[in-house]
Amino acid sequence: MSETTPSPGNRRHFLKSATVLVAAAACAPGTDATITTDSPRAQPLRDADLNSAQLSALAEAVLPAALGAEGQRAAVTAFVAWCDAYEPVAEEMHGYGYADVRYLPADPVPAWRAQLDALDRLAQRVHHAPFASRSLAERQALVAQATRSVRGERLPSPLTASHIAIALVSHWASSPRAWDMALGVQVAPMTCRTLDGAVQKPLPIVSAASADSGVRSGSRT
Amino acid sequence: MTQSPRTFEADILIVGSGITAAMMAAHLVEHTSRSITVVEAGRASTPLRERAMARERYLAYGESPWKSDHLDDQNAFGTTWGFSPSMTVGGLAMHWGGVSPRYSPEDFRLRSLYGVGDDWPCTYDDLDPFYQEAEERMGVAGEQGPVALDPRGKPYPMPPLPINYNLAQLQQWAAKSDIATWSTPSAKNSVARDGRAQCQRCDTCYPVCPTGAKYTPDITWDALVQSKRVTLLTETLVRRLVADPRTGRIMQASGNRTDTSGEAFTISAKTVVLAAGFVWSPHLLLLSQDSAHPNGLANRSGLVGKYLAGHRNVNAYLRVPMPLIPGINVQHSLVSKQFMRPPRSSRYLRHDLRVWESSVGREPRLRNDNGDLLMGDALLSDWKQRASGATARVRAYYDVIPDRESKLILDDAHRNRFGDPMPSVSFRDAPESAALHMWQEEQLRALFTRMAKAGGGDILRMENSANDLGQEHPAGGCRMGTDPMTSVVDGWGRAHDHENLWVAGAPAQVSASCCNGTLTFAAVGLRTASAIARDVSSPITRSGAP
Repeated sequence: MSETTPSPGNRRHFLKSATVLVAAAACAPGTDATITTDSPRAQPLRDADLNSAQLSALAEAVLPAALGAEGQRAAVTAFVAWCDAYEPVAEEMHGYGYADVRYLPADPVPAWRAQLDALDRLAQRVHHAPFASRSLAERQALVAQATRSVRGERLPSPLTASHIAIALVSHWASSPRAWDMALGVQVAPMTCRTLDGAVQKPLPIVSAASADSGVRSGSRT
Repeated sequence: MTQSPRTFEADILIVGSGITAAMMAAHLVEHTSRSITVVEAGRASTPLRERAMARERYLAYGESPWKSDHLDDQNAFGTTWGFSPSMTVGGLAMHWGGVSPRYSPEDFRLRSLYGVGDDWPCTYDDLDPFYQEAEERMGVAGEQGPVALDPRGKPYPMPPLPINYNLAQLQQWAAKSDIATWSTPSAKNSVARDGRAQCQRCDTCYPVCPTGAKYTPDITWDALVQSKRVTLLTETLVRRLVADPRTGRIMQASGNRTDTSGEAFTISAKTVVLAAGFVWSPHLLLLSQDSAHPNGLANRSGLVGKYLAGHRNVNAYLRVPMPLIPGINVQHSLVSKQFMRPPRSSRYLRHDLRVWESSVGREPRLRNDNGDLLMGDALLSDWKQRASGATARVRAYYDVIPDRESKLILDDAHRNRFGDPMPSVSFRDAPESAALHMWQEEQLRALFTRMAKAGGGDILRMENSANDLGQEHPAGGCRMGTDPMTSVVDGWGRAHDHENLWVAGAPAQVSASCCNGTLTFAAVGLRTASAIARDVSSPITRSGAP
């Protein structure tokens, strides 16, 4: 297991790796696994214009089947909303660790859009058919081929993912419900909830149906 | 044609609007009838009603929740680790974590007890009522620790934040190493109080509380401005204090608006308070040099900008054999002050101890140990396996004795739009701390190793502060003391050289202990405010806490 090796000079990084279920510090490569909101309630700033059929086919290949079709659709919807509401070069959170002001990266969506298209082209070359028409195993093999140059064990934050397949997985995995699925309990990290429940052991997830989507809906605050 | 600067008058002028200034203004409003003007170089940032959305965007993208909270040309340089560029109404405490421990009684008598550093000109007992006042005004939720380690005159104003499911297990685990722990005191509402909500453990205390359950100074400013007892001038940068060359009294403050107008202003005041933190308070004194004060104001001792203080830490993640569930309330912790009172005979090491739940090592991953890409069910299966373990995080801040040459200077290489040199800071350990540095960190690593073994666990990762960096919770730069040749202000914060000039909070501190400093900054500021209230000799007009 590889661990984050925070730059010792960066208290912001330190705080994140320390408290650990951390906010999506989208910018610095090598940040910890993150919790993001599924889809910020901000108005979309633009239309990411990702091919929905291709994206759904990709989601089926890279997201857990345990989500079910509805859960995977919800994950895709949340991811697209997240893309739509991203504001490139917005100011990063500062506070500790450095005095200079830093900014978020450029819009990753154009590259992701091209990668989605490239997956389709790859499917055409290898299978003479669109990506979305191939079997799950074939689509997974195509994704593995397309991401073979991505190194490292770490699942990057969605914003720093170098491939749309990884961004989609990362975005889903950073949701509170995904954490609940992994932990097998209803803890909903980073979700505002009463203090009263904190002293009790979180209740187990009672059935697959209760965790079907793996994606939260509604307001948390 | 040159336009005359805009002029203002005030009985009491407070420079800065951070947490110390807010506490002081609230105290002065209740204890004097004098007019109070507060100047802040920045603007008001994200209002409470917008913080839920700001939090969402912070979580989603890492966006700063605090809009327009700094000035592009007003920043510090040098070793700025531990410093924030925030310059806004409420200051850095708009995005503090709310952790509010008191220093220990030993902090105020380091020379007497341990032969290192310097004693403060006041004791813990002197500060106790002001600690209490700060806790009441902010609203601190806390648990009384063992009285010998955690003395206090009165109970906390609010019951502690709960020892949650994870912390209860970690508390038992720490006890196996004979370490007593309790709920970390926090300026967060454990119950609804003063019109503010109960904490909802949203776990983004740092950097933004979306509910207002965590104290931020804008709460106080809103109330004070609404009461019309305080005038708050924003986008108003004080660039010089002007002293009467004959009496030394500060006659006025002058500067410019930081908005597009850049308009010049002067403020005449009978009493001037610098509550602008460890950087901007000494910076303004150094900038204010004149023919009578060629080294800056209040600087007869040559110590303005000197003795910058702070602390470092050792931090570790431990694999522990218990069913912890990350995410219940990750920003809340256990605390111990057990190690803040070492025997006099031992080598000098004082530190706090905090214990948290953690998800380090429990996260999903992209590739497995064989380097295979994990997708779909394989990713979830791998994640479930990893998530079934448990990780504790432990961290100890340890005391660093400041050197005289741990300092802030004016840096001619960086200037703001008005031509003023910006501050450059560099930290240096006093020789006694430098000599002990490696040994101290070895002791802390050994402690964490012992804790891990006592609980049947092991170390996942351990890291030290790097010694070429700044220090945490920095303070100093205008240290208090009884001797005008070895200090800048007296034990109450009044400048030795200027009878109507006061320096409050962090910059006045002699040392920075080994725990979060904000509550002490505020308490020291409140003690100064009490002295100012006496000094201006006005009738008490209590009007209720804002």
